Amino acid sequence: MTEALKYLSRPRFNNPALVVCWESDAGQLGEKVTEYLVHELNGKEFCEINLEEFFPLGGVVIEKDIVLFPQSSFYAIPDCDIVVLHSSIPRYEWFRFLNLIVDVAQETCNAREMYTIGGMVAMSAHTAPRDFWATFSSPQMKISLAAYQLSREMDYETPPGGRPTLNSFLLWTAKQRGLHGANLWVPVPFYLVDGDDPVAQKTVLEFLDNRLNLRLNFARIDTEIIRQYERLARLRQEQPEIDRSIKKLEGNLELTETENETLVKEVEEYLGKDGG
Amino acid sequence: MGLILHHEPDLNRPTMLVGWPGIGNIGLITVDTIRQTVEAEELGEIVPWEFFFPNKVVIRASILTEMGFPTNKFYYKRLANRDIIFFVGEEQPATRESMYAEGPRAYEMANMVLDVADKFGCGRIYTSGAAISITHHTMKPGVWAVANQKSLLAELKHYPNTILMSQAEGRGNQGGITGLNGLLIGTAKSRKYPGICLMGEIPDYLSRVPFPYPKASLAVIDVLSSILNLNINPHVLDDMISQMETVISNVYQQFPQDIRDRLEQRKQAAESRQQAIITEEDQQWLKEHIDDLFKKGDKGA
Repeated sequence: MTEALKYLSRPRFNNPALVVCWESDAGQLGEKVTEYLVHELNGKEFCEINLEEFFPLGGVVIEKDIVLFPQSSFYAIPDCDIVVLHSSIPRYEWFRFLNLIVDVAQETCNAREMYTIGGMVAMSAHTAPRDFWATFSSPQMKISLAAYQLSREMDYETPPGGRPTLNSFLLWTAKQRGLHGANLWVPVPFYLVDGDDPVAQKTVLEFLDNRLNLRLNFARIDTEIIRQYERLARLRQEQPEIDRSIKKLEGNLELTETENETLVKEVEEYLGKDGG
Repeated sequence: MGLILHHEPDLNRPTMLVGWPGIGNIGLITVDTIRQTVEAEELGEIVPWEFFFPNKVVIRASILTEMGFPTNKFYYKRLANRDIIFFVGEEQPATRESMYAEGPRAYEMANMVLDVADKFGCGRIYTSGAAISITHHTMKPGVWAVANQKSLLAELKHYPNTILMSQAEGRGNQGGITGLNGLLIGTAKSRKYPGICLMGEIPDYLSRVPFPYPKASLAVIDVLSSILNLNINPHVLDDMISQMETVISNVYQQFPQDIRDRLEQRKQAAESRQQAIITEEDQQWLKEHIDDLFKKGDKGA
């Protein structure tokens, strides 16, 4: 069996923050946030988690004519003192996988804190503000992020038959090893879950920019947001039924199952054919 | 790491009973019911996080305070003639897509269970599971048995309401036991432990539904009570059996008449131990519709 971690280089950090983004997250949150950070801040991949222990490698999945293949890559952005993990969700050996993430964070990078990014399906319109929130690994972490008003003072227990998220499992695993952090939960309108939600992506990026002093240039994502708003505005003009559904959501009204399905289908098709 | 023992009692050549979830939760209900009835004490547990995805997170005032995992616990009970160690697992170590154990972790867990058997000098191990059968839900389930040593086969023939798997429904000398019940008995064989798997019959048309089939558990409990000389109340599962029978009857009434007719004919054949008659077409219909019927039946019950 090969080593579980494959290092491509050994960049130097002070006490970086680890940002964890998952592939296939709602609204392409994980993929696009990683891409933005790595591209804008000149990140370089420096470590990979070997796939064979954690993913079935008996073939590949094809989605929309594109071959999908798992990946788990750490990117170093030493100038900003951050590490970004972009990874597919492991299919088994979760605890070992999560411990490898903490190994890289603590032993290789001497990380001081960790943020995980997760999209939450929201029954709201894309025009609604992305009012995002966090869960914390400790009271200290909650206090240190108080200025960002991410706490909802939420009480929650997984209902019987349900499962926690991998982000919660990671936060717990990291906490056991003394690495504290927060799970960031960003609402993604349900009809953008399988597509692209640049507003949700920017919401996360703005938080990271403020918290980690990244000095990000938001011009590129602002352009994407404007472009998507324009495309959805055109769709609303062309299809009054879609406009009515979105207006209902904007008025905090519930849609019927048929309206939900139609909205998802039409938005996906429209953004897809329009180069989205 | 991996195994925590809360006590190290001096046990008298104990027998180990092992139960995990599976089809109809037959094995799990069997072992856990006996454990509860004899009021066994907790002995230890397998540390779960290396094996399982968590099943519960607790958040208080936005702070993650607790993570829950499926439990895999050992219990023990001192009895007059022979002590018992129980192992009750809430889940089998598997991928998220499957409920059955597979891969190196499953083998590791099987060995950890046997390590405990070793430590306390267990003389024998019993696992329990489901035998998918042409029986009918109104019939008393039989019990199929396999052993991991030839020398045990003669003994199995004397168990009440039990037949060897090779003699069940003309299936011959080939068979298999899925998941940890099979893996454990196999691993026990490689470690020279005498082991027996007792499988309660469940009708094939119920084998895919996500509900317990306590009637089969009771059949296995009867057998184990007899072998181990336990005094288990034969009505111990009456409430659960009655509840499930209502659900099953409701669903059964929704089967098309021709399929019900053929299942009834098959029941008569099974009762007289004749060859079963149900077409492949019928089996396909049951396979495709059984989940939906149970969802409806569950709502109505």
